Amino acid sequence: MTIGRRLFISSGVFAVAIAVGYWLVAHEITGTFLLGFLAFALSVIAGYMIVAERKADLWGDRGDATMAEAANQVIGTYSIRSPLPFWSALAITSIALGLVISPTLAVLGFLAALGLGAAFIVQSR
Amino acid sequence: MSALAESRVSPAARSDLLSWITTTDHKRIGILYLSTSLVYFAVAGALALAIRTQLARPGNTLVTPHTYAQLFTLHGTAMIFLFVAPFALGLANFLIPLQIGAPDMAFPRLNATSYWLFLFGGLVVFSGAATNEGAAAAGWTSYVPLSAIKVSTGLGQDLWIVGVFLVSVATILTAVNFVTTIFIYRAPGMTMWRIPIFTWEMVATSLLIFMAFPSLAADLLLLFVDRRLGGHAFDPAAGGNVVLWQHLFWFFGHPEVYVMILPYFGVISEIVPVFSRKPIFGYTGLVLAAFAIAGLSMGVWAHHMFTTGAVNNPFFSFLSFLIAVPTGVKFFNWIATMWRGSISFETPMLFAIGFLLNFLLGGVTGVMIASPAVDYMAHDSYFVVAHFHYVLGGGSLFAIFAALFFWWPKMFGVKLDETLGKWCFWLLFVGFNVTFLPMHLMGLEGMPRRVFTYPDTGRLAELNAIATFGSYVMLAGVALFVWNVVLSTARGEPVGDDPWGANSLEWATSSPPPEHNFDRIPPIRSERPVYDLRRSGGRAP
Repeated sequence: MTIGRRLFISSGVFAVAIAVGYWLVAHEITGTFLLGFLAFALSVIAGYMIVAERKADLWGDRGDATMAEAANQVIGTYSIRSPLPFWSALAITSIALGLVISPTLAVLGFLAALGLGAAFIVQSR
Repeated sequence: MSALAESRVSPAARSDLLSWITTTDHKRIGILYLSTSLVYFAVAGALALAIRTQLARPGNTLVTPHTYAQLFTLHGTAMIFLFVAPFALGLANFLIPLQIGAPDMAFPRLNATSYWLFLFGGLVVFSGAATNEGAAAAGWTSYVPLSAIKVSTGLGQDLWIVGVFLVSVATILTAVNFVTTIFIYRAPGMTMWRIPIFTWEMVATSLLIFMAFPSLAADLLLLFVDRRLGGHAFDPAAGGNVVLWQHLFWFFGHPEVYVMILPYFGVISEIVPVFSRKPIFGYTGLVLAAFAIAGLSMGVWAHHMFTTGAVNNPFFSFLSFLIAVPTGVKFFNWIATMWRGSISFETPMLFAIGFLLNFLLGGVTGVMIASPAVDYMAHDSYFVVAHFHYVLGGGSLFAIFAALFFWWPKMFGVKLDETLGKWCFWLLFVGFNVTFLPMHLMGLEGMPRRVFTYPDTGRLAELNAIATFGSYVMLAGVALFVWNVVLSTARGEPVGDDPWGANSLEWATSSPPPEHNFDRIPPIRSERPVYDLRRSGGRAP
């Protein structure tokens, strides 16, 4: 079992334990709901990792692996520079700021975010 | 597949403004995070000096009560949301791929987007100061009804909400990037039980962010709906509940304390062994303690709410006491690492020892107020102000300076001046304790937090005068650090790849590292690959 799986499973079990424990001790609904929701969310992730985790064969998980063995693996394309993150963040900020000071700004930000999202998809191909 | 698969042949690194705006290189994004958070720290520090100057003597009228409320609100917000936590994210951005032998983060463009959201979110928070009624003034905790539209009528509070929301989204996205990178992109041989403690602490921190920050985002959205769209989530007159804000806020807020301290536990765990010339004592124990702290921290939020009468105090008190156990494990491990080591007191080590001393006091007072009986007396007093400043100022801030002095050569290829660094440490250490130690006594004498003035009774006048003097000593320490940076940059003497004789993988590459991080990675057969390489005389062990 990978460490990632163990981490999420043990966190989920712990959250279930304190949620149940808190309800038994306190009978207080708000705190129990918060802990219960936490337990639910962690259980979903843990469940996903148990059922659907790919059989990852990572060089990093092999203690005796050498650099030479892992050479020439293609791990994806990295864009060293991209203007999209800056403009995307600006568009998202415009939406948030527009909700406070001007609906027009929010609409413009939303349209820009749509365009930038499309650009991200095109650039990723 | 492996992270280290191939070195990217990249164009020569550019350094013009556009190249920084468009960069997706984790090292540059890390440096952007660090420098931005330090600018926010400077602003928050200036606000703190204004607060201390106002409180220098009883009955002072330097600022109005409303201005004072804005000062402490922006000070707290900037220190917590824009400095201490984001500095750790910046450090992790720079270090994680280097420490695990990866060429970059798993999602470089998402990483850059997170940084810009953080920057813009902070600017939105501060932009409230330019509105007619000024910035938010409900404190960094923004309790309702103080932050409700009936009390905080200005746009400043709304800008605070959306600004902090943007920062919280950026933080969640960054945590996704960290976890994916660490789980998937480790170099051959870099098993999880060989990654440096700092990287482990960032795994725990990222999990905490996943669990805690959505609660903050939900809380902020509810408040925004209440203020702008006529919602009643926190309006008791319409069936809402003001205590709900506290529940949701502290469900985020207490884990946030550990988001602001776990990475710095990692920093101390990296520095202490290097300057003790020993391997870290109890690697596994340190890792398990980090996750124990993270797990327990999710179940202690309501110790901030003992006095509401709306929570089960013994339950939260018990879990809060329990956190002292794994924290104590870490302390013993650091001391055991130093025990009989060949300790040298370079500036990073001095700051690390300063961290241990200050954080210990902050931890002890934390255990005290985890007891509801003591908390009822100390709640909302300067005793609590002293406690959390010892944790986050004496703890995290000292670790931040330790990290700056320790990794500066790796980031910029030059070392900061040691003599100036030691002066900086002593000014900050003395200044910090002169500022915050008296606050324990102020609290015990009954001085409430967030008051803009106080009566001339008991020893309050003397204690406040001493604290204000200490804050200016701290200012001198910070000014000396800035001078150190200017001087060391101007001198620009290169220091080589590994000036400290350190252990982890980032010291195996050049200083500063190339855009693709490594030209060659040494074999990784333990959690100290660079030490192994040095010991074998540069040959593969």
